[in-house]
Amino acid sequence: MVLRIFFPQCCNQADSGLLVGHWMPGHDSAVVLAVIHYPFIPGQVKQYLQQMRSQSGVELSVLGSWSIPKEGQEHMESFLRDLSTIFPQDCWLQLSRTIGKMGFNCHVIYQDLNGSTTSCKAAKKNGKIKGCDRESGEDNEEELGDEEKMILIHYEQRKVMQSQLHPIEVPDTDPPSELREVFQTVARSRPLFFLDRYDDGPLKSTHWQSQGREASIIVELLKQASVPLCLLISWLLSKWTRICNFSLFNLYPLRFLSSKLSTCDQWSYRTEHMRTLSSVKPAAGHTPFMRKANILVSLLVDVALGVLLMSWLYRDNRISIIANALLPAADHVAKELEELLQWLMGAPAGLKMNRALDQVLGRFFLYHIHLWISYIHLMSPFIETILWYGGLSACLGITFALSLLSDMVALLTFHIYCFYVYGARLYCLKIYGLSSLWRLFRGKKWNVLRQRVDSCSYDLDQLFIGTLLFTILLFLLPTTALYYLVFTLLRLVVVMFQGVLHLSVDIINSFPLFAVGLRVCQPYQLAEGVKFRVLCEEPGTALHLLMEINPLKCSAVVQRYRVPTYSCYPKDSWAALVKKLFVGELIYPWRHKTTKSD
Amino acid sequence: MWRVLGSSPSADKTWKVFWCRGRGQNISRVMPREMGPDGAPGQVVPWRKVLWEHQPFPDNYVDRRFLEELRRNEGIRQYRYWAVVKEAGFVGQQLSSVAIFITLWLYMEQGLLSPERLLLTCLLSTLLGYGLHQTLTPLTKSGCELRTRLADLQSATIFLSFTFGFSPVLKTLTESVSTDTVYAMSAVMLLAHLVSFPYAHPSPPGSLSLNAALFASVCLASRLPGALHTFAMLSCALLVFALWPCLLQRLREYAPNQFTGLCVAVCVGGVVGLASQSPGGAVLLALALGTVTLFCPLLLVRLQRHKDNIHGPWDEAEIHEELGHILHS
Amino acid sequence: MHQRQRAGALKKSSSQKCPEAPADNFRGSTKKHSICMVSDFFYPNMGGVESHIYQLSQCLIEKGHKVVVVTHAYGRRKGVRYLTNGLKVYYLPLQVMYNQSTATTCFHSLPLMRCVFVRERITVVHAHSSFSAMAHDSLFHAKTMGLNTVFTDHSLFGFADVSSVLTNKLLTVSLCDTNHIICVSYTSKENTVLRAALNPEIVSVIPNAVDPTDFTPDPSFRRDDRITIVVISRLVYRKGIDLLGGIIPELCLKYPDLHFLIGGEGPKRIVLEEVREKYQLHDRVRLLGALEHKDVRGVLVQGHIFLNTSLTEAFCMAIVEGASCGLQVVSTRVGGIPEVLPEELITLCEPTVRSLCAGLETVIARQRVGSLPPPESIHSRVRTLYTWRNVAERTEKVYDRVSTEEVLPLDRRLLRLRSHCGPVAGSVFAFMAVLDFLFLLLLQWLVPDRVMDVAVDATGPRSMWGQGSSIKLNATKGAANPDLFGE
Repeated sequence: MVLRIFFPQCCNQADSGLLVGHWMPGHDSAVVLAVIHYPFIPGQVKQYLQQMRSQSGVELSVLGSWSIPKEGQEHMESFLRDLSTIFPQDCWLQLSRTIGKMGFNCHVIYQDLNGSTTSCKAAKKNGKIKGCDRESGEDNEEELGDEEKMILIHYEQRKVMQSQLHPIEVPDTDPPSELREVFQTVARSRPLFFLDRYDDGPLKSTHWQSQGREASIIVELLKQASVPLCLLISWLLSKWTRICNFSLFNLYPLRFLSSKLSTCDQWSYRTEHMRTLSSVKPAAGHTPFMRKANILVSLLVDVALGVLLMSWLYRDNRISIIANALLPAADHVAKELEELLQWLMGAPAGLKMNRALDQVLGRFFLYHIHLWISYIHLMSPFIETILWYGGLSACLGITFALSLLSDMVALLTFHIYCFYVYGARLYCLKIYGLSSLWRLFRGKKWNVLRQRVDSCSYDLDQLFIGTLLFTILLFLLPTTALYYLVFTLLRLVVVMFQGVLHLSVDIINSFPLFAVGLRVCQPYQLAEGVKFRVLCEEPGTALHLLMEINPLKCSAVVQRYRVPTYSCYPKDSWAALVKKLFVGELIYPWRHKTTKSD
Repeated sequence: MWRVLGSSPSADKTWKVFWCRGRGQNISRVMPREMGPDGAPGQVVPWRKVLWEHQPFPDNYVDRRFLEELRRNEGIRQYRYWAVVKEAGFVGQQLSSVAIFITLWLYMEQGLLSPERLLLTCLLSTLLGYGLHQTLTPLTKSGCELRTRLADLQSATIFLSFTFGFSPVLKTLTESVSTDTVYAMSAVMLLAHLVSFPYAHPSPPGSLSLNAALFASVCLASRLPGALHTFAMLSCALLVFALWPCLLQRLREYAPNQFTGLCVAVCVGGVVGLASQSPGGAVLLALALGTVTLFCPLLLVRLQRHKDNIHGPWDEAEIHEELGHILHS
Repeated sequence: MHQRQRAGALKKSSSQKCPEAPADNFRGSTKKHSICMVSDFFYPNMGGVESHIYQLSQCLIEKGHKVVVVTHAYGRRKGVRYLTNGLKVYYLPLQVMYNQSTATTCFHSLPLMRCVFVRERITVVHAHSSFSAMAHDSLFHAKTMGLNTVFTDHSLFGFADVSSVLTNKLLTVSLCDTNHIICVSYTSKENTVLRAALNPEIVSVIPNAVDPTDFTPDPSFRRDDRITIVVISRLVYRKGIDLLGGIIPELCLKYPDLHFLIGGEGPKRIVLEEVREKYQLHDRVRLLGALEHKDVRGVLVQGHIFLNTSLTEAFCMAIVEGASCGLQVVSTRVGGIPEVLPEELITLCEPTVRSLCAGLETVIARQRVGSLPPPESIHSRVRTLYTWRNVAERTEKVYDRVSTEEVLPLDRRLLRLRSHCGPVAGSVFAFMAVLDFLFLLLLQWLVPDRVMDVAVDATGPRSMWGQGSSIKLNATKGAANPDLFGE
């Protein structure tokens, strides 16, 4: 059995007094929280502890005594022992320190119900721990069975108090671990630390002294000031929500469109953020607080970047330059596409395709490009205006500007999308037909109910027609597949560009800047665990360990505190994507609202 | 004895020697070295092949009853040469049918046979065959329902209309594919047809074999000069690959003697037909027919003698009962 | 004949010196072996082979031998783990190919195996299951390294198809120079002797065992208003689930108070589900799905009759478990099953629906009139039949015998391969053996045996585990583990 005592480093130099702390049930360990100095009136101490107990919810008690013997205090020993009768405990600690020596001397006194006392001395002799010498009258000869050891673990009270041990959620079924309980005890006994050495109360104590009171006053003032601002924002938000809920906007085409536009997504997303931020209630608990802080910081960074972008964009007439460059670019793309189609209609790369089908498909797509060019030319006078107003959105944040850019790219490459959809549908149909006809070819069929391939005897006419169709589809497949391949590649380029835009928007939206900042500046606040260093291991004293906080890894910080967003990453893995492409399913860069990732 | 056998280098197939000799002899003369539990009763008890009893024998004890339950070549079937040849005739016949089809295609491709004539011949032979089929069909056949004439007519209409409708498409289908590819594909498919043909129960024809044959014939037909040629060729393919095996099966069931004659006739016809186009091919075909119908059965009957199959209690039991009726009655 | 008498007399005298079971621990072999059990099948996989290896190892450790188990990595379970009583298990990083069996090239596992054999100072390599490629690999390498080898065959194989011809050839190669082979039943021995063309004298029969304390009867779980038939097996073809699908409707129509309790999972489950659906037997046929080993007893004690419909079986543990729980066993007469239980405890039938139904009906009739023996008496009869201690003792004798035999040196091994396995396969594998030997020489040149660390013994005569462990508080300098405070 090893007794573990967690001792705050700040109390190393404290004057003699009483150790106040908490016995942890079931763990054989105690957390020392503060030292109450002499002189005191025991009644007042008890009353004070009672009060603290009710305020903090921690079972605080007097653990024992602490002494730094000075000259002329030789009778201290007996006095300290007597104290244990004033504060009845099962176990009474006596820690004392000699100036000039590293280690403490520790004694533990066990008080049984019948009043007999056993004392254990954690003094080592010859490297082995000595048994206990009993002072009770009855059984002097009997040695105590289990060897008693004691470890003193020094901890930095301020850091432990402020740090949050990860993972935060632990299953309820397990009892909390000892370490976690230590952290919780220290964090919860904050009220104890309001009283300090310099107060004019009847009791004086030593513990972590709260630093920087001035700063906390400023923070408090800011908090007060933010309340009316929050109220204003939430009022505006409620108006906005009401407008949004108009039935006009919920009509099918509008809603469909807005669900596909990333700007609308970003807008609704930011609204939600503002709603979170503007709630007047203070954040309860660590997680909501971190969430709020992360959102606020990322919002500020976003707007700052947006304003920078705007200041660049509206100088030197850059908007009109861009607009003038855009139209020829679109024209050029269309021309290139036309040439590509002409090439496909010939004998592309020496492939021999079915001539009739090739011609039909080629003409169909050429007509589309023709339509597209006329559409662009129709749009051309308005492009500059659109760009000018669109650029204004950057003042809402760079994410808005990027989302708008992504939407514009989507609109400008609509023809590529159309080609892709036609090609994919045709190809998909072919593949589907071929796969089922291949089963027929082998005399099998797909059993929908059992989700497996059954053998089946077909009629002669079924077999005949099936084989005929199979042959036709098989010979036409290369032509379709080539068209599909070319347009899919084009589509992939667009999707990748949009994907990069979405990714950057998502990073700005969800990156936990505040948490990372905290990790960089005050690493102890986000703790993953602890490590121990041996302070001193002298014979004659107990083992002294220093508990240091292991900060959370940066990747873990990002993972843990990422603000949940609509994931813009591809929903499926690469293999699934390739399979989708092979089968001819449509791929989209749109965010999937259903898979909101936390 | 066993130690000698086991350690001597010439003792491969120890077990064979063992169960050949071990029957009559007293093999427990050589006692293996002692190992295993020994309860040791006073008198000699016979060894029993049970595990639940602690017996006074070592674990590696070998009794004279060891391998007593070994049986050889259980339920073996003895084949007669001519019976096998007769059955193999069907295979030869199918081979010749394919040859006949190829011959017809060669004639068509070279313009020696007009599509109209082929269509007419097909029509006549179809009618003849259909009549024969109907006469051979017993009126009261329990179990499976009979197809009505209407259904037959319906099927025929579907065949003809689809083939006719698709023949222009089929004509252009393989235009861009090189001729060698088409030939190779057809050859592979015809081979697949021959390999996967259900020779035991050719009616209805197996899906894979029929489909492979049809695929091959579509490939070949698309090489012909006109759409009508394609149509005629496909109709012919349907006749040869789909309807002919059905008729043959009927013949095999109800007129075995004529069936044999017909097989011989088809074989001869195939060889002669091919000879008119390519003598080398005809020789090859004749060789193949000879191998399949005469040599292979001989080989089977000869090799039968060397069959050596071991059975014993370790064999996985087979379920002989038809358990399907429990679910599908 | 007189020789056998003499042997009997010899044994008699020896047994008079040392009476019976528990004292056996101190008798006979004073020699302690370092045994390496190798198989692809081990915990966390569950099954007959797995529990055999585990229980046998535990009993051998108890008898003072040193045992390590070598298997392949299962998912994240890789490296070295310790099980109860310090049984050390090596989960080697080898690629699983099919059905938990590793892929083999005959060579790539040599460095790892050699490392284990040398570090653990192995004297006997004991491979299990003919389906395990790793077991065969280890036999091959152990012979190359000059270690004694033992192989336990747990399964039966036919002779009639191509795949069995191939596997039997491989088995012949693998076993032709193995020192000793253990089979789980006499039928299995006959089968293995035939398959691998072995001298029957080097094949011992040591049955599997069942822990009787895990399977105790408790008639209070039985319902008296019905007769319950329990079936516990994997639902696969080899276990005769199709037969079961035929039996269920036939008997259920005849006996309205008959219930079936079926534990196990597998591809043939659909057959049973269809039968249940078609005959509306949802309340009388319960499919429990896959059972954990600890739940098996709870299911067994609910039944009156235990039914086994296997089509092939080397040694059926399930029927012993059923009988140990006091159930009347009805089984097919296949493989080694007739050897397992005495006639009064088992009703053997042919593997047909009709025969099994007839067998079940006679048992049901006897149950009705109450002429079946009570569960307690069946249990007390079965409990002593198969125990792991007995298995361990008999296996120990095999080790004793093997350790006195010589391992064939390379030249004689090659001769034996050539003479015993036919000219083609023999030459091929002789060539492989030479390559393996050269590979071993290369490895020994790269890392000589003497510079390899010797592993700390967890079990065995000089084990750390045995000496009452006192946890020393090792506060190391630097970072210590926060586990000190135990989660």
